[in-house]
Amino acid sequence: MPREQSVIAVFAYVDDMLTCLRHLRERNCDIRAVFSPMRLREVQEIMTPRPSTVRLFTLLGGILGGLGFVALAVYAHLSFKLITSGKPVLAWIPWVIVCFEGTILLAVSFSVIAWIVNGRLPRVRPAAGYDPRFSDNRFGILVLPSAAQREEIVRLLQSAGAEEIRDVAD
Amino acid sequence: MINLRFGDVNREILGALSAPGRLYWTVVGLLTLGVVYGALVWGYQVLTGVGVAGHRPPVMWGSYLVNFVFWVGIAHSGTLVSAILFLFRARWRTGISRAAEAMTVFAVMIATLFVLIHLGRPWVVYWVIPYPNQRYLWPDFQSPLVFDFLAVNTYFVVSLLFWYTGLVPDLASVRDRTSGIRQKIYGLFSLGWSGTHRQWHHYGASYLLLAALATPLVISVHSVVSWDFALSVIPGYHSTIFAPYFVAGAIHSGLAMVLTLLVPLRRIFHFENIITKDTLEMIAKTSIVMALIVGYAYIVEYFIAWYGGNRVERQTFIFRALGYYAPFFWIMCFCNVVAPLFFFWKRVRRSLACLLVIAILINIGMWLERFVIIIGSISQDFLPYQWGYYWPNWVEISIGFGTACLFFLWFLLFAKFVPSVAMAEVKEEVGAPMRAEEAGRAP
Repeated sequence: MPREQSVIAVFAYVDDMLTCLRHLRERNCDIRAVFSPMRLREVQEIMTPRPSTVRLFTLLGGILGGLGFVALAVYAHLSFKLITSGKPVLAWIPWVIVCFEGTILLAVSFSVIAWIVNGRLPRVRPAAGYDPRFSDNRFGILVLPSAAQREEIVRLLQSAGAEEIRDVAD
Repeated sequence: MINLRFGDVNREILGALSAPGRLYWTVVGLLTLGVVYGALVWGYQVLTGVGVAGHRPPVMWGSYLVNFVFWVGIAHSGTLVSAILFLFRARWRTGISRAAEAMTVFAVMIATLFVLIHLGRPWVVYWVIPYPNQRYLWPDFQSPLVFDFLAVNTYFVVSLLFWYTGLVPDLASVRDRTSGIRQKIYGLFSLGWSGTHRQWHHYGASYLLLAALATPLVISVHSVVSWDFALSVIPGYHSTIFAPYFVAGAIHSGLAMVLTLLVPLRRIFHFENIITKDTLEMIAKTSIVMALIVGYAYIVEYFIAWYGGNRVERQTFIFRALGYYAPFFWIMCFCNVVAPLFFFWKRVRRSLACLLVIAILINIGMWLERFVIIIGSISQDFLPYQWGYYWPNWVEISIGFGTACLFFLWFLLFAKFVPSVAMAEVKEEVGAPMRAEEAGRAP
């Protein structure tokens, strides 16, 4: 059985690439990746319409950080063996600052970890089909056509204005 | 504001990473010598004891604390430019955000260094960390010093992560245009970034959240630093306006340092098309606002001292304006409030020499402000028998000089080995090429 081969198409113009992407979507093609040297809102709308889960991880980190730092403060004050008087042992009001710092620290840390893991990073080599021009001034679509679709997809990519089309081994 | 075509962004910005010339290495060498000198003097202080610095009762928090507050203040504008202006969609920030973020990270590191330097035994700094120990002693989470430890460290970690997150796509660009060991190093730090839609999706969500989380942090850090003073009872320290006053001062000094670094950077690396005069003019306009806020805070401090009716407080502020350190006070007023007002003239705002001179004056003024507040207030507090004057001695000046060299050395290395302008953001700013537009432009 022949190995399935993805096809990478390189575009110089973003509107060509977006038109092509919409056509591929309409044909329910298996679009593996869209490469770009910058954030493109239109690509996100077509490819990933659902909000990122990074938000949830950030919230989780914030809650853990805030509660964790206050818990640490409570533990530290209850563990203090020297008798001091005049002040309540558990002083909640100043710990608003402790809670705030913990919230921000862990929310940010979780957010960064979340985007790295969700983006399937770190990795030793860039993703399959990647071309160094994608970090400069070119855009790319990596698509895995079925054997029956293959010729039609290649024709579609050509007619959409791809300046280069080639096979990529999976 | 950026006069560049999409296809030229990488070439223009990565051009700065070409092999440095002899002048660059000469400056790096001189700064390294300054750092080594500072480190040797610190070593002398550690071996001999912290008494070799000029700290004497009643001034036990000398220039080290002045430097700490100064550098934390400098650190403010990086995140201000990156996070707050990002949320406000201020497009002029794009060309300068990366350098400002780097400045923040380096300035926080220098500030943290002063905490270590000020400790007689820096190797026991880990005692601040709460962990079960045989001494049964724990850090007091009600203390403003512990607030400060948490705030500054949180700020450092957040600034570093924010900076690094922005850097990842650009490091991948450098990776793709280098070879050998350099490619391996840039590849390692770019985490194997490929710019796929999935990566951009999560990256974009995270970057927005980081900006949103960093914004209140910027405000909180210098507020917490100000509470190191405001929560004490010393006249001149014990003031409710300290948090907004310190935050405004921090932004003022940070913007001035941004100008101090960017004006030469723009010239040396030929970033005229990216860091345009319009961008520098916007910073100058913001400096006018900050100068007015800082000037207002100076006046309000005097009003409170007069209207509050506290005799000791009033004496402290008379001493500040007319006493031993009065020249510093008046130089501070000129540098921080009067000098930036020259930016009201468009010709001054658009002159690189004027921008640089006024920015340096503000830097000097903001250092003096910290000196006047920190040293001046404890030189003459409640009881006349414990009044006393303080000057930094050669040990403190040498260490201060060494750390300043370290800051500029780090920035110089950053500018040569890391893209000092956010390429992906610049590409968003100039807009991706459209066939429809090109066809429209064709004759």
